[in-house]
Amino acid sequence: MNDLLKFVVVGHTNVGKTSLLRTLLRDSKFGEVSDRPSTTRHVEGATLTVGGEQFATLFDTPGLEDASALLDYLEDLERIERQKHPNQRIDAPARLELFLGSIEARQRFEQEAKVIRQLLASDAGLYVIDAREPALAKYREELEVLSGCGKPLLPVVNFSATGGRLEEWENALARLNLHARAVFDTITPPIDGERHLYESLALLLDSKQRPALEQAVSALEKQNGKRRQSAALLVAELLVDCAAARHSVAPEAEEEAEAKLFVQVREREQKCVEALLDLYAFQADDARLHTLPLSEGRWGDDLFNPETLRALGIRVGSGMAAGALAGAGIDVMAGGLTLGTATAIGALVGGGAQTVRNYGSRLLNKLRGQNELTLSDSVLQVLAVRQGYLLQALAKRTHAATSRIPPPEEADVARSDITDPLQSFFKQARAYPEWSSLNEEHELEGESRDALVGKIASSLMAFSADATQ
Amino acid sequence: MIQEPTRLQRLWLCEAIRQRETHAGPLDDREANRHAQRAAKDLPGRIQARALFLARRDGLVEALDSLLGGARLALLLLFLLAIFGGAGLAFASVGDGREPINVFWALLGLLGLHFVSLLLWLASQLFTPASPTALGRFWLWITRTFSQKLMHKTARDQRAPNLVPALFQLLERRRLVRWLGGSLVHGFWLVTLLACLVMLLGLFSTRRYGFIWETTLLPASSLIRATEWLGFLPALVGFPLPDASTVLASGTVPVITEAARQAWAGWLLGVLVVFGLLPRALLLLVCWLRWQLGQRKLTLADSISDYSLLAERLQPVSASTGIVDPAPAQLYMPHIANASGKATPESRNAAHLSSNVGHLEQQHTQMLVAIELNPERNWPPAELPAAVMDGGIIEDRNQRRQFLDRITLHPPQRLAIAIDSDRSPDRGTLGLITEIAPLVDAAYIWLLPPQVPPDGNQARLKIWRESLDALGMLYNDTPPWHWLETGRE
Repeated sequence: MNDLLKFVVVGHTNVGKTSLLRTLLRDSKFGEVSDRPSTTRHVEGATLTVGGEQFATLFDTPGLEDASALLDYLEDLERIERQKHPNQRIDAPARLELFLGSIEARQRFEQEAKVIRQLLASDAGLYVIDAREPALAKYREELEVLSGCGKPLLPVVNFSATGGRLEEWENALARLNLHARAVFDTITPPIDGERHLYESLALLLDSKQRPALEQAVSALEKQNGKRRQSAALLVAELLVDCAAARHSVAPEAEEEAEAKLFVQVREREQKCVEALLDLYAFQADDARLHTLPLSEGRWGDDLFNPETLRALGIRVGSGMAAGALAGAGIDVMAGGLTLGTATAIGALVGGGAQTVRNYGSRLLNKLRGQNELTLSDSVLQVLAVRQGYLLQALAKRTHAATSRIPPPEEADVARSDITDPLQSFFKQARAYPEWSSLNEEHELEGESRDALVGKIASSLMAFSADATQ
Repeated sequence: MIQEPTRLQRLWLCEAIRQRETHAGPLDDREANRHAQRAAKDLPGRIQARALFLARRDGLVEALDSLLGGARLALLLLFLLAIFGGAGLAFASVGDGREPINVFWALLGLLGLHFVSLLLWLASQLFTPASPTALGRFWLWITRTFSQKLMHKTARDQRAPNLVPALFQLLERRRLVRWLGGSLVHGFWLVTLLACLVMLLGLFSTRRYGFIWETTLLPASSLIRATEWLGFLPALVGFPLPDASTVLASGTVPVITEAARQAWAGWLLGVLVVFGLLPRALLLLVCWLRWQLGQRKLTLADSISDYSLLAERLQPVSASTGIVDPAPAQLYMPHIANASGKATPESRNAAHLSSNVGHLEQQHTQMLVAIELNPERNWPPAELPAAVMDGGIIEDRNQRRQFLDRITLHPPQRLAIAIDSDRSPDRGTLGLITEIAPLVDAAYIWLLPPQVPPDGNQARLKIWRESLDALGMLYNDTPPWHWLETGRE
C-alpha cells in the first residue's frame, strides 16, 4: 500500500480537478462536481487498479483560491523567522513547514494548507489548468507556492477541446520553466489523451518509479482495446440476432406478426444498449445517465420510423412499396427460397441438424401457405449505424461527462462504405434462422456464427476507429 | 444434486457464464459481485465465486447436474451397447459350431470393424483433432436427449444448450477434447472386445468348433506364413501357435484333433487380445492419463485475458481510500471588516493628515479599477468619462499592493470595481474586494458580462451575484458612469 505511487491533483478552484479524477478513475460517482467554487473542501484519495494491479493512489484536493495572500503571508512568516534566527537559511520547503505550523494554516488558509500538506506527501502533482481562462498572474502565484513543495508538477491543460487559450498557456508555462505538460479534456478527451498524460507524468518521475507507470499505461491501453472489442462484439451479436430473425406467418396475420417482431427488435436493441453502458461502467441506474435519450426511448422507438432512415441518410431500396418504406420485408418470393439456392445448399451442408430442421420446417410452412417475415435491410442498416455511433460515443465518453449522448446526425452516419460490407454479412445471417435468439428455435454457439459475429465486430471497430480520427 | 462442484465443474460453469455474457451482455451481477468480493481475495477466486453464484441463481448448476446425469445414463447405455455388441460380434464371427470356423473370416469379423474404427480415429487425430468423433457425437446426442428428459422437471431446459459448447471451449484451451474423446472411444472398444473375448472363451469352452481355412487363388504356403506372422506376437506372450502341419491340414478338412483345436482357438484368442484388446487398452491408458493430467492443469489463468473486463467489476478500477483530510466545519470566507474596522471619514482624515498629501486627490474622487480581465476586453473602456480616474487592472501581488497603498493614501470618494464574470468567484478576488471596500467611501461592483464560452457562462454570473450579495456589495452589470457621477444608481 505504501509503495504505491501517490499523485495529487491540485489547481485553482473550479478548473475541473474532480472531473479529471472521475475520468482517470472511471468513476462517475467520485467526489462532487458543480459550477460553484470550493465544491471540494476535503482531500480524498482513491487507488487506481490497472490490469489487476494497484498502481497509484490519486488524491483530490480543494481548489487554491488565494495564492496571492498566501504568498504575502509566507513572506511575513519568513521575515519573522529570520528575525528570530538570523543565521538560519530558510528555503521554500522550510517556509511551507513554518506555514503548516502556523495559526492561519487552520483558519484563513486552511484549504491551501490541505493542498500543500498532501502535495508534500505525494510523489507528484497534477496541476490542472482551465484552458479557457487567460494565463493570469494568480495562477503563476499558485505555481510558485506549489513549487515550494519540491515535488514534480505536471500542468494538465483541461478543457482543451473547447477552443481554449492553449498557446497563451504554453508560453506562460514555458516562462515558468514548466516544459512538460499534458493537454487534456475531461469531457471530450483527445485520442490517447490518457496515455499522453501518464507518459508526461512518467518523465517527471525518477527512474525507480517510472516502470510502474509505464506498465500501467500499457495495461490501460490493452484494457481499452479489449473493451472496444467487447463492445463491438455485443453490437455484432445484436445485428446477427436481428438479421437472422425470421418468423413464419400466415398472410392474414402479417401485421400482427410485424408488430411483434418490431417489439422484439426494440427490446433487443435496448438490451444491447444497456449491456454497452454496463461494459463502460456507465451504470444504467446512474442518475445522471437517466438524461440519456436512451432511456427515453428515442433510441428504440423511432427505429421503424421512415423519418429515421431519411435522417440517417440511408437510401431505401426501390423495390419496396411506399407503405412498407421501413420495417419488415415480407419474403413472398418462393418462401424463403430467395436466399438463393447456393446459400440454401450451403446451409444444408454446413449447418448442423438444427439448420436442416429449420430449413425443413420453413419449406413446410411455405407449403402451408405461410410467408416469412424478416427485417428489411434498411432497418438493419439503421441499427448498425446507430449502434456504431453509440460505440464511438462511448469510447470517447468519460466519467466526468454529465451531458447526454446526442442522437446521431446525418453527417456522422451517412457512411455507405461502412454499411455496404455489412450488407453481405446480413445476407449471410439471414440464411441461418437458428442464429437468432429472437427465433424460437435457436443455437447460438457454433464456429460459423462466431466467425460472422467476429467479422461484423471488426467492421464496426473500423467504423468507430475511422470516426474518431 | 451437485453440492460442491469439483474443480473441473467450477471451471466449466465459469466458461458457460462467460459465453453467455459474450452473447447477451453482462448479467445482473451486483449481488454476485459482492458475494465474490467477500468470498475470495484474488481475481481467479472471485471470478469462480461469481460464476458459481450466478450459475446457482440461474439454474445452471441444476442444468449441469441433469447434463451429468444424462451423460452417465448415456455412458451406461454405451456400456450395455458395447457388451451386447461385443458378445454379438463373437457369436457372429464363430457361429454355433455346426459349421467349422473359417479362421480368416472369423478374424476379419472379430477385428475388422475395430481396425477400421482405429484407423478412422488416428486419421481424425491428424486432421480434425478438436472435433468429437462419431461416437463422441452419438454420446453427446444421447446425453442431451437424456438430460432434456431429466431437466423437464425443473423446466429450465433453455439453459443447457450452452453447457456443452462451454465444455468444449474450456477443454480446447489445453487441447483436451481429443483425450476425453479418445478415452470414450477406446473405452467403448475395450469393453466391446472384452465382451467379445469373454463370449469367445465361453463359446470355445462349451462348444466344439472345427477350424478350417479356404483359398482358391492363394498358395497354401502364404496362408501358413500369414498364420505365423499373426501368431508371432501372441506367441511371445504365451498364446499357442498352430504348427505348419496343423495349418496345412486345416486347409483341406476341419481339424478335429484336440491339440489342433486348442492351438487354433488359442491362436484366435491371442490375435484378438494382442491386436484388439491390447492396443485399445494402451490407447485408453494414454488418453485417460493425458486427460487426467491435462484436466488437472486446467486453470482459469488460461482464459484470464477473456475476463479482463470482468476483472474491473470484481476488482474495481478505482477504490476510494476515503477522505484523508476532512472538510472544515466552516469554510473561511472573506467578509467586510465590521463597523469598528470600517474606515470612517474621521479615521481617514487622520490618515490624510499624517500623510500630508490628503488634499492632492480632491480633483479625482471617482475611480474605476478592474480585477483580472480577459485580455480581449478593451480596457479602459472608451466611454470612460474624463472625470473618472483609471485605476488600471489588478492582476498580480505587486499591483494589488500598489493599488491598496494608493487608495489608502488617496482614497477616491467613489470607486467602481470591474469584475470579469468569466472568472470564478474565488476567495482571493472576494478577499481583495473586502480589502478595498473599507478604504473608500463608496464602492460599486461592475460585473462585466461573460464572454467565454461564446454564449457566456450564465451560471458563473449567478454565483457572482450571490457572492456579492453575501458581502453586501452594490453591483450591477451595466457601466457605472451614472453611479460614479452621482452616487446613485
